[in-house]
Amino acid sequence: MIELLSDPWLFITIAVGLFMAWAIGANDAANSMSTAVGAGAITPKQAVIIAGVLEFTGAYLFGKSVTETVRKGIIDASQISDPNVIVYGSIAALLAASLWLLFASKFGLPVSTTHSIIGGIVGYGIVYAGTSIVNWGKMAQVIASWILSPIFGAIVAFVVIKLVSKTILQQKDPIESAKKWAPVWIGLAFVVIGSMFYIKVMHGKSLFIAVSRYGLAAGVGAFLVSFALLRKNVKATDPYWGVEAIFRKVQVLTSAYVALSHGANDVANAIGPVAAVYAVATMGLAGMKVPVPRWILAMGGLGIAVGVATYGYKVMETVGKRITELTNTRGFSIDFSAATVVLVASSLGLPISTTHTVVGAVIGVGLARGVKAINKDIVKDIVISWFVTVPVAAIIAGIVFKILMIVG
Amino acid sequence: MQVWTKLFAKSPFKPLIKHAEVVLEAVGTLEKALGAWERGEYEKMREYARRVDDLEDFADRIKEEIRDSLSSKLFMPVNRGDILGYLEMQDKIADAAENTAKWLLVRDPNNIPEDIKDEVRTLIMTMSQESIKAAKLVYEAIVQMDRVIESGFGEKEIEREYAIIKEIESVEHKIDELDTRFMEIIFKNSAKMEWGLGMYLLNIAKTISNISDKAKDAAERIRLMMNK
Repeated sequence: MIELLSDPWLFITIAVGLFMAWAIGANDAANSMSTAVGAGAITPKQAVIIAGVLEFTGAYLFGKSVTETVRKGIIDASQISDPNVIVYGSIAALLAASLWLLFASKFGLPVSTTHSIIGGIVGYGIVYAGTSIVNWGKMAQVIASWILSPIFGAIVAFVVIKLVSKTILQQKDPIESAKKWAPVWIGLAFVVIGSMFYIKVMHGKSLFIAVSRYGLAAGVGAFLVSFALLRKNVKATDPYWGVEAIFRKVQVLTSAYVALSHGANDVANAIGPVAAVYAVATMGLAGMKVPVPRWILAMGGLGIAVGVATYGYKVMETVGKRITELTNTRGFSIDFSAATVVLVASSLGLPISTTHTVVGAVIGVGLARGVKAINKDIVKDIVISWFVTVPVAAIIAGIVFKILMIVG
Repeated sequence: MQVWTKLFAKSPFKPLIKHAEVVLEAVGTLEKALGAWERGEYEKMREYARRVDDLEDFADRIKEEIRDSLSSKLFMPVNRGDILGYLEMQDKIADAAENTAKWLLVRDPNNIPEDIKDEVRTLIMTMSQESIKAAKLVYEAIVQMDRVIESGFGEKEIEREYAIIKEIESVEHKIDELDTRFMEIIFKNSAKMEWGLGMYLLNIAKTISNISDKAKDAAERIRLMMNK
């Protein structure tokens, strides 16, 4: 490790990778907690601590130990024969993505970190070998996800909040109905969480195994536990407040899960390019897939955790508070819907961005007349930021790459 | 972390409820002023009347604030225009109370012919009690509207809301009848009064009945909010 750091380019890449991890924490990681914060289930301070710890755990323990050096095959790596190009390109892509994430965080815009790094990679790829290096089929999938993610998120959240309202809030005695129905909803949410744990955290492939082995076990367990707990000690003078109190506790768990899963997955955005350079430094060649040493994963996880702590609250503020005033049932519906969409879509091979799905879900709940006010201006800003993420990251990466090629 | 509370996308319903509270207080203070009149405590009456004026001012300021914050940037479960229309009507309730208060400040209601004095007073008092009831119901209606939204437009909560609206309408109807009777009495006895007193009394009755008119209009607006 020490002698590796004496390689100046690897050292620089790791430094930029850490910066990227920090930016991911700053922008993306906060999304997992923001609905819980917005609904008042936890304070921002608690959110920062929970998210920080879980993001690190997810990244370190469950981050992919073998990572694709060129994320999602967005450019054709076989066209790059010069190892220096991988080194300069990785630095350029990381730098561009993290600068864009930093900018987005500054303005409280939740953008996709995956799309940022894809933009960075496409940028240096085009500068090096022209547009033919880009896998445009993959690129079309990314673009499709800008539209699909929020739409799916909105549709599912609309249906979920309507069903939650029908089964609980609109009943004669909301608290009694909540005692019956909340365990069902909590159970269903845990079916999704259990399945997601297998696919996203343990990187399993089959949706069937995910649901039958992990999902059902988690779901039935959660149903039984919540059913037993709700049979006693639910007293409230205001029925709606009572229902919210029930869902408040669940929301902490769903958010915590999102943070863990995010750490396991998105750490690759920061360490993927680092791993590529590491492969060049240790083996002298550019490969598609390389094993990633644990300490690089740990650094990525640490970077994300620090990002959450130092800057994450900014984005929590946007999703949780500036878009809409959330209650716990609505926050639960959003988390549950977003997780379901991401689970189903990723097992069907559809490109879906969690960030975009969450924002779509918030709008879906709004369309169901579930929330009292959504700030349209902020929504507009967010959508624009999605569309410019790839081009902006690509342009910055292209420029940085060009400079590095001339200087280096 | 102050940033958290600063940029809050507020729902207009809490401020609307606050505004309704102030309106209710204005109408309640007017009732106190009329009570002082009944007892012949004119100094007290004027004091209360001036207080109504202050409360109307306060309601106006809240109204302006709500208007400013209700930009078209917000996407809400109820129509923005309906909310603004409702606010306008709710504010007019306070305006109507202030109008009555103004008449009370213009002159003291002495020299009412002895034979109708009691009936005039009782009618005015009944009307003012009914109008405070109307204002209270409007307050309940907007609180209930908040619950309608909270329940995701649940049937049960909508039913409750309609019940409140119906009650407001029946109060308004009752005050209308009282107002008509009041006018009849004044005109029947017009020969016994100087014209100024007649006009004074008629206007007090008219402005009080206006309170419930506006309450009814506000209820009508709430009905619109539920029928998106």
